Amino acid sequence: MELAVWVIILPLLTGFLLGISKLYFNKILFPLVMSSAIIYLYLLILVIQNSNPPKLYSIGNWGLLGINLMVDPFSSMFLLIIAILFISVIVFSMKYIKMNKHKYFIFTYLMIAGIAGMVLTADLFNLYVFLEVSSMSSYALSAFKKTDKGIEGTFKYLIMSTFGSFFILLATILTYYLTGTLNIAEVSLGFQDIPFMIKSMLMCLFVFGYVIKIGLVPMHAWLPDAYEDSPIPYNVFSSGLVMKSAIYALIRVLYIIFGIEFLSESGILNIFVYWGVITFIISHFLAFQQSNLIRLLAYSSIAQIGYIIVGLFVGSEKGLIGGSFHILNHAIMKGALFLVVGIFYYSLKSVKIEDIKEMGYKYPIISFIFVINALAIVGLPPFNGFMSKWLIVEAALESGFVYPAFFILVGTFLSLTYYLKVIIKLYTKTEEKIITKVPLALKIPTIFVGSLCIVFGIVPSLPLSLINNIPKFLLDNSEYVRILLGG
Amino acid sequence: MEILYFIVIFLFCLGIYTIISQKNLIKIVIGFTIVESSLILLLILVGYKPGGTAPILDKVYQIVVDPISQALALTSIVIGGSVTAVMLMLVIKIQKRYGTLNIDKIRKLHG
Amino acid sequence: MIRINEMFKKLYKISLVVLLAIFLLYVFNEIHDLASKSYLSEHYISKGVQETGAINLVTSVLYDYRSFDTLGEATVILTASAILAFLVPLRKVAMHGTKFLIIVHQTMIFIVPYLAVLGSYLILFGHLNPGGGFVGGVVLALIPIVMTITYCIEFSEYKFKPNIKTLLEDLGSICFIILGLFGIVTGSNFLASGQSNLGLGNPGELISGGLILCLNIIIGIKVGAGMAKIFNSLIKGE
Repeated sequence: MELAVWVIILPLLTGFLLGISKLYFNKILFPLVMSSAIIYLYLLILVIQNSNPPKLYSIGNWGLLGINLMVDPFSSMFLLIIAILFISVIVFSMKYIKMNKHKYFIFTYLMIAGIAGMVLTADLFNLYVFLEVSSMSSYALSAFKKTDKGIEGTFKYLIMSTFGSFFILLATILTYYLTGTLNIAEVSLGFQDIPFMIKSMLMCLFVFGYVIKIGLVPMHAWLPDAYEDSPIPYNVFSSGLVMKSAIYALIRVLYIIFGIEFLSESGILNIFVYWGVITFIISHFLAFQQSNLIRLLAYSSIAQIGYIIVGLFVGSEKGLIGGSFHILNHAIMKGALFLVVGIFYYSLKSVKIEDIKEMGYKYPIISFIFVINALAIVGLPPFNGFMSKWLIVEAALESGFVYPAFFILVGTFLSLTYYLKVIIKLYTKTEEKIITKVPLALKIPTIFVGSLCIVFGIVPSLPLSLINNIPKFLLDNSEYVRILLGG
Repeated sequence: MEILYFIVIFLFCLGIYTIISQKNLIKIVIGFTIVESSLILLLILVGYKPGGTAPILDKVYQIVVDPISQALALTSIVIGGSVTAVMLMLVIKIQKRYGTLNIDKIRKLHG
Repeated sequence: MIRINEMFKKLYKISLVVLLAIFLLYVFNEIHDLASKSYLSEHYISKGVQETGAINLVTSVLYDYRSFDTLGEATVILTASAILAFLVPLRKVAMHGTKFLIIVHQTMIFIVPYLAVLGSYLILFGHLNPGGGFVGGVVLALIPIVMTITYCIEFSEYKFKPNIKTLLEDLGSICFIILGLFGIVTGSNFLASGQSNLGLGNPGELISGGLILCLNIIIGIKVGAGMAKIFNSLIKGE
């Protein structure tokens, strides 16, 4: 499919053009960014529509000798998340970012290109290269405000993330040494006659590397620090896409290269399910103690990643559907919450929970968006978060994980407590205070992303028609391998 | 041949130990570069064949070492160099703002 | 009490690392015993010269078989230099270095042409000899770096303007993509050179190897500009 490669090179091209326009034509920033974003949206929709059955694109027409791109339902779901978040955040940051606009958009476009590359590529080393591309731009955006806290948080993020990359690179090199190839399909075929012990050790290296990038509980400490003082539109991408792309890579490596039989045989599925449970329980407790709204949302992100991990590693068809649906839902809900917090920060210059009193009366629609998204992320019935959480609980019960299913319900109540705390503050009356007026360009994307949560809650068949195809190519890797080998 | 693998493991673990035990930011960055070099050495070793020549085929050679792993080594050198540059820049920034390189004294963030 | 605590912490870290070492030793030992298959590299070695037209196989892997990796790599360098340029303070900084004797200044005048020739040779003959765009670019970047060290940062930035360096970097990346699109225009795939009916020439001559020579030149200029920018940003930040 010709279009697949454009998904990667269009943002790259825009980023480089922005770099030139910064020097000589300062005026064309707005038309360049907007036109590129709209073309990109159209492109993504075309690619997503043609993703079933999976399509293959060979860079340089080398076939198995070179690098291949592959669009399958799981990657096209990530493209859908990019499509939803990208256009809204670009419109939002047009007004929100006041200093260094060019640099901001350069890094954003390069980050999107890196994530699109990670999602599409079918080559292990190329996956590592694009992981670095997306992380590099991510460091830049996280230090974007140049404040003390921002620099320090970015340094922690950089240290941890690079630490993880080393283990990923080590595992990639050893995989190449064992199989003599880097194409995922050929590696998967080559792994079939490799002893059990070596496979599980390689898997440990991969898992350790990616888990640091995802931020499961013992390795989560960098994440709220990196979030705290970075521009809020970047936080939308960070929790919606950067963390998720690491999950994507982990799932791709584990399910395609190692195969589901090996995963259940080695017991890594059980380990991950309980790891997810520990992650969300601990981070719910940590989120409860926060007084900063952004840190609260960051801890809540880690908790939701825990639910996603439980869903994806239950190892059944329903679990994969639930987990993938929750990835999509969490990106939308957390995106809307962060955008609302961005509006509050724009008008109040503060993100303390104490300071957002009475905003519920000042901005009724925006606060309503916050309330429904908070309730959706907790998992209350009419919204989309309920659907995916219910699927995860059902899948866990069917596969015999009774305690994890029980703890998901407990976690729901825990998250209800701290979100209720924020909502009550939102509608508390207090004395008059000065607020800056918020332009419409900030409100429209927020309302768009926020209302998707109701739409997907009432009509879940809309995204599920795409998501239902995911397990076919993940649970049984032979289909994916066959297509990738060109059969 | 075998001894070189021991050197890779030694360098890798030495770098990891430097990262987790040192308090000085510059020393931590040095630890990262040590790990990086060990991985590059590993890439070169993976492609090595005893008695092989470099993969430049200006005439016919019997044994040629693996060109892929050398290309991968070049890629990882470049990526590692860029990451190190960014790290050093952040260290300079932190040193300017806090006046210290000790990681225990840099504590604006909490939680 | 505190000292015992410290000791315990240190022991804990050492034991962690020793465990990692034992783990890696075991992995390496086991992997080393398995006969490694290498049909891909054997294919590159036996067919690579006629398929890509470059006799330096590392270059042919880097710029032809896996050229998409190189695009990602180029993006990483560009991002790094953009981050550094973004983080340095805008105010002018005076660099207080040592005053060199006239010998150093005179040697500089001799060194610079050699560096320029060596760098361009490495770039232009990258597909025939050891070298290539990245190595040549770094050698070219040494010229502004040496200028910065011996004279001062103002002189180096007067000779090579920061704006020009940024322009070269961005233009280099754009040209890389445009050369890649050339493959699509000729009816093949992105970044195809030998596969898209492009004349490969005779292996071993200077004008051969399809796109590889062009990509080498572009990457060389881009990496040179990027490295010089990174070094100057680090000096300015200090």
